[in-house]
Amino acid sequence: MEDNAELETFRRQWREEVSRRTKPSKPEPAHPKLSRSSAAPSSHFPPTRHEASERKDEEEDGGATSVDHGEIVHGVGHLSLGVSDEDAFHSRVPRSEPKSALEHFERAVEREAEGSLGDSLHHYRKAYRLDAAVDKTYRNKHFASLWKKTAQTPASSASAGSATTTQQPTDEPTILPTPELIASFAHLPIPQAEPVIENTPPPPCPIAKVPSEVLVEILRHVAVIDPAAFCRTALVCKRLAYHFANEQHIWKRLCQGSEFGFKAMHYSFACDIHGIPEYTLGPRYTPFPRSIPVQIPEPLSSWGEVFQMFPRIRFTGIYISTVNYTRPGAASVYQNTSWNSPIHIVTYYRYLRFYPDGTVIYLLSTVEPLEVVPYISQENLKAARAISQKQHHRQGPDAASAATDTVPPVAMGALKQAHRGRWRLAKPAPASDSSEEATQGDIISEYDSLPVKAQSTGEPDPRDLVIETEGVGPKYMYLLHLSLRSVSTHKPTNSNMTPPNPSKNTKLAWKGYWSYNKLTDDWAEFGLKNDRAFVFRRVRGWGMH
Amino acid sequence: MAASGNLLTFVSADNVHIEVERDVAERSLLIKNMLEDLGEATEDIPIPNVNEPVLRKVIEWCRHHKNDPPASTEDEDSRRKTTDIDEWDQKFTQVDQEMLFEIILAANYLDIKGLLDVGCKTVANMIKGKSPEEIRKTFNIQNDFTPEEEDQIRRENEWAEDR
Repeated sequence: MEDNAELETFRRQWREEVSRRTKPSKPEPAHPKLSRSSAAPSSHFPPTRHEASERKDEEEDGGATSVDHGEIVHGVGHLSLGVSDEDAFHSRVPRSEPKSALEHFERAVEREAEGSLGDSLHHYRKAYRLDAAVDKTYRNKHFASLWKKTAQTPASSASAGSATTTQQPTDEPTILPTPELIASFAHLPIPQAEPVIENTPPPPCPIAKVPSEVLVEILRHVAVIDPAAFCRTALVCKRLAYHFANEQHIWKRLCQGSEFGFKAMHYSFACDIHGIPEYTLGPRYTPFPRSIPVQIPEPLSSWGEVFQMFPRIRFTGIYISTVNYTRPGAASVYQNTSWNSPIHIVTYYRYLRFYPDGTVIYLLSTVEPLEVVPYISQENLKAARAISQKQHHRQGPDAASAATDTVPPVAMGALKQAHRGRWRLAKPAPASDSSEEATQGDIISEYDSLPVKAQSTGEPDPRDLVIETEGVGPKYMYLLHLSLRSVSTHKPTNSNMTPPNPSKNTKLAWKGYWSYNKLTDDWAEFGLKNDRAFVFRRVRGWGMH
Repeated sequence: MAASGNLLTFVSADNVHIEVERDVAERSLLIKNMLEDLGEATEDIPIPNVNEPVLRKVIEWCRHHKNDPPASTEDEDSRRKTTDIDEWDQKFTQVDQEMLFEIILAANYLDIKGLLDVGCKTVANMIKGKSPEEIRKTFNIQNDFTPEEEDQIRRENEWAEDR
């Protein structure tokens, strides 16, 4: 609390100082005013917005919660992957110290959000010492879109009726629709870097001499290694952006592949809940088999879109459902004085890691993502169990000890509670001619004894996902019914801005959760009062071949 | 110099004569098809697009891989399994970038699928895990986007990052 007060004082002092300085010149009075009006008094600075946005991010996507893209990006800022291979769970150690004012400011915001205010204050001070206008720089960087939006409103109200679009400052050039823009890149060369020193030969750029077909071949390899890396090539130069958008056969290859594509999706269980493979004689269903000519499914128009839109489970990271709930503490002696009774805030996490072999790890824990996520794997789970067995029986495979050396005890402890399981998606509705399975219902309609209301009316939804896991004892099985959803997007009011285009189907919304007693054929429903959707986060190195 | 028996003679772009065993030379589909068309090659074979150092590298690769099974035509499945580059090939591709791309271009011209694959995979490995700016630096590419265009493309492709 003391820290907080100190921070507030510092901010106030600083704000006064800034207003004192900017008043005589009076360059753009709209900006400070705006920031005050757009946020609560105490949340004059972006950090508080950050927290709110993160909370909003967790909401169900009913379309009701429109989160600005910039906010989402910022909201996961301290958790985000960064541009390259980094992820939220490994990036802690190799961090470089901030140097510029902006970097200090960013670190300060981050620290504030984490709750270490003393540290935060230290960085704020450094930032302002280096650059007195750093908050403006920061806002321009992270909230530029927000600015444009809010800046529009006073402009339009001031001009009262006159067309607001034409009033747009001319420094914003008219923007081509993205497909046309990309199409215009078609035959551009890969531009060579300029010489480091003038009048010297430029650095060699042999990739510029490579013919298209070879370039595409290289990109295909990149895509198969990691689609995200392929995506980054699109930002290198115009020519590569063109190939990214238009190489249908690369996208088709990704769709049909088993690395990230639909070849690795399971539409029937591939193993039992302990992960032992189940073999079937018949061929497994796959939506886009290689052996026969395949078509792009109906509403979609390209293989890139199929890869983007068609329900798909990711193996390259973790799905996390964060649950915060408040619990009233012990009632005080004075029952009526409610203002003194404590409230406990409880946070727990559900983790799901999927594997292409049809297995899944399900973990419910209070251990925070940073502590446990990097260690959630089949190997470590096995090791964790071996240890607990050893403790009970003083025997067990020594293979476990090798793995445990690198896993911190906290993670190991959590992993002991992890459940193994198996997963499958609902079969996409067959194109009207379903000869073999005429009555295809809801994905859970196959559980005959499951007492679900309106079971018969359940329409098959291709986004549905079923997970069966081990239960507390050998006689129980848990059934999770989830459905793939997308993060809600916000259409910018500024028509000149391209809408954000976040990953699709990276959320898992709850539809039902049961426990099944195999001995008595009894179903018991778990309440989902507090449960939030799972959100996908990439983890470095996962799901890579 | 005429080729005798099992030996062929390549003439590089810079006019250097290099002797190659026939089975090694036939790793190149271009040469193989040409030899089939000609029957017996009695004359020097000019390789106009490839200069000596590159041609020697290419022949070195072909010699090492001369007993490889022929590349299957339904490529996807067989190539999918070989996402890794074997040790010898990794050593082989430890050359400067200009040489690497020269080898790729030669492999493309001479139609040596295996070598083209190794080359492209090597370049792909240089790309993976890098940010766009790092990729530009690695290959000396200039950024030809305007900031607005760059932002537009970034938004459009954001989904593929799968954060």
